[in-house]
Amino acid sequence: MMQWLAHPWLTVRVQIALGVIFVVAALPKIVDPPSFAHMIYNYKLIPWALVKPMALVMPWIELLCGLALILGIWKGTARTIIAALLLTFIIAISINLLRGNAIDCGCFDVSAANKTTEERFADMRLVILRDIGMLLMAAQLWYASTRAVT
Amino acid sequence: MNWRKHFVEAATLIVAAAACAMVANAFASKERKLVVVPQSAPRPVVAAPQPTPEPITQPTTTTPTTATLSTTATTTTVNRPPATTPKKPAPTPPQPEKIFNPHPDKAYIEIHGDDVEALHKKGVLFLDARRTSVYEQGHITGARPFSVWESDIDEKVNKLFTERSDPRDQNLPIVIYCSGGDCEDSHMLAQKLWGIQFNNVYVYKDGFPDWQKRGLPIHTGSAP
Repeated sequence: MMQWLAHPWLTVRVQIALGVIFVVAALPKIVDPPSFAHMIYNYKLIPWALVKPMALVMPWIELLCGLALILGIWKGTARTIIAALLLTFIIAISINLLRGNAIDCGCFDVSAANKTTEERFADMRLVILRDIGMLLMAAQLWYASTRAVT
Repeated sequence: MNWRKHFVEAATLIVAAAACAMVANAFASKERKLVVVPQSAPRPVVAAPQPTPEPITQPTTTTPTTATLSTTATTTTVNRPPATTPKKPAPTPPQPEKIFNPHPDKAYIEIHGDDVEALHKKGVLFLDARRTSVYEQGHITGARPFSVWESDIDEKVNKLFTERSDPRDQNLPIVIYCSGGDCEDSHMLAQKLWGIQFNNVYVYKDGFPDWQKRGLPIHTGSAP
């Protein structure tokens, strides 16, 4: 029944799609680290001392993991790191949603958008759904890898 | 699953990412660069007469204070008119001018549009805490770009301190603004300036959008 989920045809496409998504997400942050640092600061979850190092390094982790998935190098490790990042994003946005802190997620665009509070809350809910979708893609890759081993 | 191999690969990816980040940051323009270790703020040569707050190099939460501005006490001598004089509408008394006194115990005071406009007319220094790219698209006429997120912020603050090294100059009002709403950049910059003894800093609470709404003078480009 679940054979189709581990089918190589699907796995390759999911792997490349997830890789491309992370490469595309990383580029604006690499180009403009101060804006991304501002976005991380707005989450109010990270100590000030870690905001700037995180803004510098995290986009490069996304880029390298995305490239690893596209090129099929260290797939397992890249998939695990990406899943961990997605879980972190989901938790961070959920905490701010519960706090009532309307923020721009800074996922694919780090320019300051002049959105209303309501628009930001709506975006945050959509981002959680989108990240869950990507987490399911990572789960498919993990499932396919376990089937390949056995 | 080979955990050791997994761990080595993950560590390699993270170290490679950190190395790429450092190299990219080293070659980035000053507006796109991040200073991970901030420079220390300059110490004043002459001690200011007010109690000295500790320098602050990172944003901390300070309870914002809504403007409670004192007004000059105006004493006017009114000659009572004789009873036979026909009644005339009483002239409206001149609006007492607000005084923006130094407040060394507070990093900043939040003020609103009318006070900001009055200070702008007086030629008070305005600092724009938004990103330089946003500043160039339009800013309050005369305001200088002072983005707290850009690598040259300490350099700009040091230069301002040099310009106003006299303690009397440090008590001159400075107005800082960003995008209004929940924007905290102006508060962060105010904390930074308070840390080096600028004791008369005001934050324009409603920020640039309010200024635009009021139809007040705006300048575009990199020049103030």
